[in-house]
Amino acid sequence: MSRDRKNGDPHSATAANTVPWLEWTASGIGLLLVLGMFGVIAWQAFHGATMPPTIIVEAENTTRTDGGYRVLFRARNVSGGAAAQVEIEGTISAGHDASETSRVVLDYIPGHSSRKGGLFFTQDPRAGALKLRATGYAEP
Amino acid sequence: MSDAKGRRAVTSERYAVGLARAFGGAIIFGVPLLMTMEMWWLGFAMERGRLLLLMGFNVAVLVGLSYFSGFEKTFSLKEDTMDALAAFGVGVITSAVLLVLLAVVTFDMSWSEVVGRIALQSVPASIGAMLGRKQLGAEQDMDAEEERKRESGYGGELFLMLAGALFLAFNVAPTEEVILIAFQMTPWHALLLGALSIVLLHTFVYTVGFSGQEIRPEGGTFLSTFLHFTLAGYGIVLLVSLYVLWTFGRTDGVALSEIANMLTVLGFPASLGAATARLVI
Repeated sequence: MSRDRKNGDPHSATAANTVPWLEWTASGIGLLLVLGMFGVIAWQAFHGATMPPTIIVEAENTTRTDGGYRVLFRARNVSGGAAAQVEIEGTISAGHDASETSRVVLDYIPGHSSRKGGLFFTQDPRAGALKLRATGYAEP
Repeated sequence: MSDAKGRRAVTSERYAVGLARAFGGAIIFGVPLLMTMEMWWLGFAMERGRLLLLMGFNVAVLVGLSYFSGFEKTFSLKEDTMDALAAFGVGVITSAVLLVLLAVVTFDMSWSEVVGRIALQSVPASIGAMLGRKQLGAEQDMDAEEERKRESGYGGELFLMLAGALFLAFNVAPTEEVILIAFQMTPWHALLLGALSIVLLHTFVYTVGFSGQEIRPEGGTFLSTFLHFTLAGYGIVLLVSLYVLWTFGRTDGVALSEIANMLTVLGFPASLGAATARLVI
């Protein structure tokens, strides 16, 4: 197997014929992933990825715990733009008692995504009117 | 076809070995950023147009890297492109699997979030896949590589510096620390750091005997080498740093003087990357 050319690429002329099937497969899968990924990101770019966040908070379940009540909620960002440091505030305005407010900050809610969290109260949220809302966010 | 030719040809088995090394490289080079939380957030929070541009730039760099050191010896633009695509695929698959394993990507996330996170992580992982053969391979064809580096001349030299700078800058830029350091530094700190970057860039490439070290061009004086390679290299380092910072939205609405500070901060690791690119590639 002597080298017939100085630069040591004796089969450069026939390289196209010697591409193994595995190489075609690997490159083919790579090409599909490139196209798929570029396609998805480009689609996002043209479908409101820069719309400022809109956050809707819904209570999912209320449980009695030691020393109070726990309300699980889901905060949904229905716009394309991501929100950071989203503050979620829950207020119970019971008739006779003073109203009670609990807060939590969610690090991030990506566009068209949701994050879950929980708030604790000492009063039973089911007794009074529980209001959940996002009070603000920062741009990431 | 002669027997000799048949034995020389790249078979699927040999390609499979290269592919396995590529996966190894993708994991090793990708792991630091897979475990960086800013990367997860940037994956969905960064501007889509910039992410798209970054992915395109990454594919172009992969094609160039394949020319110098792929997981396979290549002979033409077509094969370099095929190698780049395969490396990209390896990067995406590795990132996807590891992000799922680390519970960074879960199945109740929206698909746009999942794609964003995987796409961003695939950049360092695919570069790692491309370098995997070189770093992990036992049977390197050093002669062919040196030949390539000689043939490509000055342009190739600058490209290698760009690739090295990009890789290291990309590893540091997502973290909050770059900005914090830039805020903490006085202008004197920035000037000194910039000067140190240039000195290290020059020393690593031309003076200390690292493997893959550059021999000063024939007849080149210190000054001409310094201007031609070191300063040109630092220029590339600053441009790459600026590009990476812009990509991650770190420059938006920031005063020019702060951006300059950030550039010297990020330029420090980036110039180390540019200086040592030859060792890695």
